[in-house]
Formats: sequence, C-alpha cells, structure tokens
Amino acid sequence: MKQIRLQINGIWRTGWAIPGQTLLDFLRNELNCTEVKKGCGKGDCGACTVMMDGVSIDSCLTLAFQAEGASILTAKGLGSKENPHPLQKAFVEKGAFQCGFCTPGMIVSANALLEKNPNPNREEIRRGLSGNICRCTGYRKIEDAVASAIGTVPQTCCKKNQENM
Amino acid sequence: MQVRDHLFPTSTLEAIALLQGEDGKARLIAGGTDLTLEIRDKTNSFEVLVDVGRIPGLDQILLDGDQIQLGPRVTMTQVEKSKLLQQYATALWEACSWVGGPQIRNRATLAGNIVSAQPAADGAIALVAMNAMLTILGSEGERSCVLSDSYISVGRSTIDSSREMITTIAFDKQRPGEASAFRRMAQRKAMALPQLNCAIWIASIDGQCQNVRIAIGPVATKPFRARQSEAYLAGKPLTEETLSACAAAIQEEVQPRDSVLRGSGKYRKEMTGVLAKETLELAIHRLEGSLA
Repeated sequence: MKQIRLQINGIWRTGWAIPGQTLLDFLRNELNCTEVKKGCGKGDCGACTVMMDGVSIDSCLTLAFQAEGASILTAKGLGSKENPHPLQKAFVEKGAFQCGFCTPGMIVSANALLEKNPNPNREEIRRGLSGNICRCTGYRKIEDAVASAIGTVPQTCCKKNQENM
Repeated sequence: MQVRDHLFPTSTLEAIALLQGEDGKARLIAGGTDLTLEIRDKTNSFEVLVDVGRIPGLDQILLDGDQIQLGPRVTMTQVEKSKLLQQYATALWEACSWVGGPQIRNRATLAGNIVSAQPAADGAIALVAMNAMLTILGSEGERSCVLSDSYISVGRSTIDSSREMITTIAFDKQRPGEASAFRRMAQRKAMALPQLNCAIWIASIDGQCQNVRIAIGPVATKPFRARQSEAYLAGKPLTEETLSACAAAIQEEVQPRDSVLRGSGKYRKEMTGVLAKETLELAIHRLEGSLA
C-alpha cells in the first residue's frame, strides 16, 4: 500500500492505493468519486473517462500509481446542479441521455474535444466521442447536445499533447 | 498474480537496473493500455512494474537529417497530431489515428504497439512499411534491430520487456518521389480491431516504381511483408494494369486464417486484394503530390 496524492477537480486529495490498482477503482472505492462509472473495465465503453493533466483517458486502463501528483477532472468538477457547465446544460436541454450511465464519461469526452477544438463539425464530434458507448443508443441527441454547446465552453487551453512535432 | 510494487525510475539506465534486479519478475510499463488488462484478468506473469512515465525526454518526435526518431513514450495521439509525421511518414500518421478511441490514443504508445507483437497492430504495420529500426537498451548495453525481425509469433517479441526497453524507433523520412499510405477494414470506424490493414511505402521516378514495401496484417503470425509482390512491382510503370496485377499478386501471397472476430479466411483473402489496391492508389496519388 502506498499513499497517493492527487488533485481531483482542483482539490488535493490523498488515499491508499495498492500496486496494480486501477485509477478507476481508486477513485470510486478510496475517494468516493462515484460519478466516474465502471462499465466494461477494459477500455471499450468510456464510462470511466476522466481528464488527467488536460487529456481524456480511460481511468480503467490507468493505474492509480501513475496518477500520483496528477490533476484529475471528473464530470462533477465541470459544474454543479446549481451551476451547471454549458455541456451539462446542453445535455439536459437536448435530453441527451436515457439511463444516464454513460453521461459522465460522455460529458468529459465532449469537454476534452471542445477544449482542443472549439468549433468541431459533426464528424469531429463523432470522432471525439468515439471512445464512449451509449447502450440506450442516444447518440443523435448526444451529438446534438455537443453541437449546441459549441461556443459556450470556456477554453482552458492545455498545451499537452497538442504539439505539432 | 498480485503486483508487489510499481517503481518510477528517473533514467533509462535506472529502469534497466531495476528490471535486472528483479531478474525477470518485473515488467516495463509505459501507457499500460495492454498491461492493465493483464492485471485485471490476473494473467500477468510479473510482480513488479517498472514505469517509464517519469523519465524525461522519452516522448520526443525528432527529425535528424533525413531520419525520424521517435522516443519510446510517444503516444498515438502525438503521432496523430504531428504535422511532421503527416508530411514525412504519412502511413504511420494515418494508422495511429485508427487505434482505439481518443482516451486510448492519449495513453497507448507506439513502442507498446511493437512489444505487444500483435500482427494486426495498426501502428506497427505502418512502421514495418516505413522499414523502422529499433534501438533497444538492456543490461549489456544497446543493440539495434530491424522492426520486422523483432517478431517471434503472435504476442511474442524478441524484445524482452522484463529485461530491456526500446529507446528509439527510427526510420527515413519520405523524400520527394516517395509516399506512403495506410488503409484498414474494420466492422466500425472506431474502437474496432482491424479485420485487415495494409501499409505501403513507395518510391518512384518518372512514373516508374523504384522500390516498394507492402505490409499487411493480420494475415500471418506477424506483420506480413508481401515480398514477392514488392519484387513484381519494382521497376514497373505505375499504370492501372500493373497496379491491378500487383494487387492480385498480393492477394495470392497472403493466407489469412478463418477468424470468428475478423471474418473467414476466404473472404479476407479476397478483401486483401481490394484493400491493397486502394492503399496503392492512395500512395500513388500522394506520390504525385510529393513531386508537385
């Protein structure tokens, strides 16, 4: 066991992790971040998507030890019920979910997309969300929600992974 | 097997020393998109992870003269976003954009694509067509290896990640008169393993093929080089007739097996000809661009 310190939605948190434990299990079981959903557990569904140091990742394919010192953003960090993020608002307005299980991951992926590409076309939206599965098959409304949020998402401008070289 | 420790060396030499200290019980990890699944399924044979994630400078994409050098932690996303690779290693740039979804591409490395030794790995297929050379660091020092010689069989590489690591992936950039392309066939446009993939690098002068490398997967236990078809095309004019004949020769040369996941061998054999023809045409189309 080792203590892992990392930032979750801007707040430093510490928890015990065991070697080989996924970031997903660590977030859910140790730090009670249950907004990060556990779907397939093998990188196929994207329900566990979080942003780590400015890029979207599957937290089920990342180990807790690898996230030490990192800055993690979950859907909860984007906004609250009282003060929702433009994407969260757009998802509600467009009815972009049925069961809602994929939603936190979808919203984080959509956020990652819009941070890098503030004005994506439909194909780019599909590609940006291609690592997330919705088994209620609500893709059309999800796509509409992301399209309607264009221009409303604050740019945090992260440089990592955007180099031209 | 329970993972006992997860270590973060700060240099490649320290990483090798840590691996050596565990005498085969440790395994190198970078992106971890494959290894995490082994741990999850408890099929891992390692007890210790030696993580290269905090060694500085391993994620560089460099152009050194005519040679492109990639560090071992270069991710699929980095390749996909690289203007340099789009221009000088087009097939690789194209191939990496097909791997998984954005979340996986943000973590998965090209080096991992190589050592996992899957005959269908998109990035590795493109690197085979680019004739990539690997530099590998072990306790005895550095050694070099042509990428296509690093394959033993499905999932087995001559690069032993419990004792050594790739430090550089290098290949020549495309010069004027050279081009490359990558195409794949899969059940979905994203998050699907390829039923077939094909990468082609070609060099020509005055509409005549000088040299060509054709890599195809997964039609054998390792990335397949269609050497007979390459020999056929070399020296020939790049006409519709020779391209069709070359595609037919490629189809003849491959022996894909039946696969529940990827389709019947018969179907995939026929489709190899179609895919190879498309890839050739795309490469030749770009060839025209490279001379313009």
